[in-house]
Amino acid sequence: MIAAGAPIRFRSSSPGAQMKTILLLEDLPEIRAWMRNLVLQVFPGATIHESARVQDALGVVAAVRLDLALVDLGLPDGSGVGVVARLRDLQPEAQSVVVTIHDDDEHLFPALQAGAFGYILKEQARELITEQLQRISQGEPPLSPSIARRVMAYFTEKAKPRANPSPLPNVSLTERESEVLLRVAKGYTLPEIGVQLGLSRHTIADYVKQIYRKLNVSSRAEAALEAQRLGLFG
Amino acid sequence: MLGDLSLFRRWIAALLLPATLLAWGPVAAQTLHVRSALTQSGDALGTAPAAGAPVLPVALPDEWSRTRPGFDGIVWYRVTFERPAAPVDGSLLSLAIERVCSSFEVYLNGGLIHGGGRMAPPLTNNCHHPQLVDLPTALLRPGTNTIELKVAGHRREEVGSRWRAGGLSALAIAPHAEVEAWHARRTAAAVGFPMGASATLMLLGVFMFALGFVHRRQSQLAYFGALAVAYALLDARLWLRQPFLDHQAFELLLLVLLGLVTWTAVQFLLRTAGLRSQLADLGLPVQCAAIVLGFVLAGPERSSLAAQVWHAVLALEIAVAVVVHVRQVRRDGERPSRTILLLVGASALSAALQFAGQWTELPALAALAAPLLLPVALVLVGLGLAQQLGRALQAAEQTRQQLEQQIRSAAGEIERNFRQMVDLKVEQVIERERKRIAADLHDDLGAKLLTIVHTSDSERISTLAREALEEMRLSVRGLTGRRVGLTDALGDWRAEIVSRLAQTGIEGEWHAPDELTHELSARTYVQTTRILREATNNIIKHSNATRCTVRCGIADGDFQLVIEDNGDGIAPEVEGRLDRGHGLASMKNRAKQLQGQCLVESGPGYGTVIRLTLPLDRAAAPS
Repeated sequence: MIAAGAPIRFRSSSPGAQMKTILLLEDLPEIRAWMRNLVLQVFPGATIHESARVQDALGVVAAVRLDLALVDLGLPDGSGVGVVARLRDLQPEAQSVVVTIHDDDEHLFPALQAGAFGYILKEQARELITEQLQRISQGEPPLSPSIARRVMAYFTEKAKPRANPSPLPNVSLTERESEVLLRVAKGYTLPEIGVQLGLSRHTIADYVKQIYRKLNVSSRAEAALEAQRLGLFG
Repeated sequence: MLGDLSLFRRWIAALLLPATLLAWGPVAAQTLHVRSALTQSGDALGTAPAAGAPVLPVALPDEWSRTRPGFDGIVWYRVTFERPAAPVDGSLLSLAIERVCSSFEVYLNGGLIHGGGRMAPPLTNNCHHPQLVDLPTALLRPGTNTIELKVAGHRREEVGSRWRAGGLSALAIAPHAEVEAWHARRTAAAVGFPMGASATLMLLGVFMFALGFVHRRQSQLAYFGALAVAYALLDARLWLRQPFLDHQAFELLLLVLLGLVTWTAVQFLLRTAGLRSQLADLGLPVQCAAIVLGFVLAGPERSSLAAQVWHAVLALEIAVAVVVHVRQVRRDGERPSRTILLLVGASALSAALQFAGQWTELPALAALAAPLLLPVALVLVGLGLAQQLGRALQAAEQTRQQLEQQIRSAAGEIERNFRQMVDLKVEQVIERERKRIAADLHDDLGAKLLTIVHTSDSERISTLAREALEEMRLSVRGLTGRRVGLTDALGDWRAEIVSRLAQTGIEGEWHAPDELTHELSARTYVQTTRILREATNNIIKHSNATRCTVRCGIADGDFQLVIEDNGDGIAPEVEGRLDRGHGLASMKNRAKQLQGQCLVESGPGYGTVIRLTLPLDRAAAPS
């Protein structure tokens, strides 16, 4: 499936945001080379750190100040989700983008919870990937219906009253953000939703960014609490 | 199992009715009552009073304890009467004796006409048996006739009860027919009824004893059984004529039986109230031995005194047991049961009457009823207890059935849980396997296809590899078998188709109802996605359309999808023969596999309409 949210015809003449140092985590050499080529085309002059394994990538994340990380999920020594999470911890201002052949929410949702700012499906045509990469770097992450449904389910579940009130920060979606999610889930593209709600492309993109941010904040708090619980009882 | 209460009431009525009916009937009007006699002592073998014995006139009824204190042996009673002038119908005259104690012979005008049993010790016991002696017409003289009654009896001091001491009641001489019914009624009440009560109590007692013996926790039943048996034996004094023991031994036996009755009655009262007393457990059997010892020590001269002392002591013990029983029951917050109250009331009345009878003359009905009250009460109480036990058994049976039911349902629950667990386990295994296959496919096949996509120089091969990758992904999705909500599926399809059309500059329009509750099987979802992709590919690649409209809806239980474009349409020969690259045949095939159909309407220059109809089978109905 192709990522929803691609505007009908979007040609960005402006270059992407300044991405000077980039991590490229990809195990297939041909694809890695192809990606490097593509990334250099989108962000000319950028320094690219290439890794084929999770361990190497974690080393890069710890050692190098990054602007952007392009992370594959299924790697020989583990999942790229760990790299996304570590980068979010160590360099909160750096952006992680998942580049994968998995389009299902089962794989993508954990990465988004860990702090990934959008995802790109690898097999797409070069010009499509280029466009998506540019858009993400400009703050317009994609959002598919299945991911939108998953996010809605996550926040609905969280809003349920519990017997023991959790000490989690009360992160919840605004009405507008929920509205956007609901429309994405129904299959409307982001530009269509902008028209429906009478909002600009940028405003809609801001909502999506907020949704990703809140998902990450809430998930991290949850994970911390879980770790604390395991530490206490384990 | 005993019946309900109404049956119980009928029993009471059946038992009490004869007692009241048979008790007393008037002696007929033509009767000659004899209320005085001349008495002389005699010896056992003589056919006439002892020569020279003083003649003593007495009033009837006569009691030796009054007229001949301390006398023991034979007393002759002589009465004379005038033969009735004209017998009514030539029938026999009879002598009716209400009570003669203990054994007797009847002489008419000097000739023996009736023997009432052994005249030498041990004497036959006729004390409770009314007598009817026919006076042979041949021996009757015209005018004055003499009747002599030779009575053998015991002195009051040697017997436990006044009713077993020597004596004679008033006599009546009447036509046989007139006194026969009276005699039958009296015999039934004084002898027949006690005999029946003895038999009933014996049976009931053995039955209850066996019940109590088997149900050890219901020990009161065993005591009640023993009480009934002891009382049945005690009651034999009323109807058993034949002497089988020496007189003193018989008196002792009666007293011991009374001791047994007290023992069992006290224990029954205590156990019914849920009490156990060591004093009673030990003291009561010891008391029975003490009765024997005391009786022997007292000697024949004082056996009546001993009996009366013991009677008082035993009655007191029972009274104490009653008080203890009632207090304990009250303490338990209950009320004494009606059967117990009946038993206590009957025994109290019976005991009071019998005690009073020792000193004063009781009204005839009361004297007759006194020994009968208790057996009747015992039978009733026995039936009541059996009824209680029956109810308890029924309740126990119900409880058992309820328990069985609970066990069955618990077992069913366990079985269900187990099955669910197995199902869950199977599901988990399938899920793990699916993930492994999916991971393998992505890692191996996916990686290779991806490499082809991005390294091939041929655009056609790149596109094919990309489509293959998409196919693979969809197949993996189908592997899950997870059902997909129709609304969710429509969302996925819309997002994909509208953005693909948009990327190629075709205006897309999408119409679908909101909020559908139906679900699609994984297979239907995957195959429909393929059909839609194929149709979209056709429009993008071949149609030159500028506009595409998709309409979805539910009609007649079918899911309907119409894809319409304003392109060139498909030439008939392409659709019919070659179908090259259009995938129309595979679209139709997929629809057929889902028991649906895919119709393609097209004409050159008129665009293409694809109508897909899929049954939302029962399994895909709203869940």
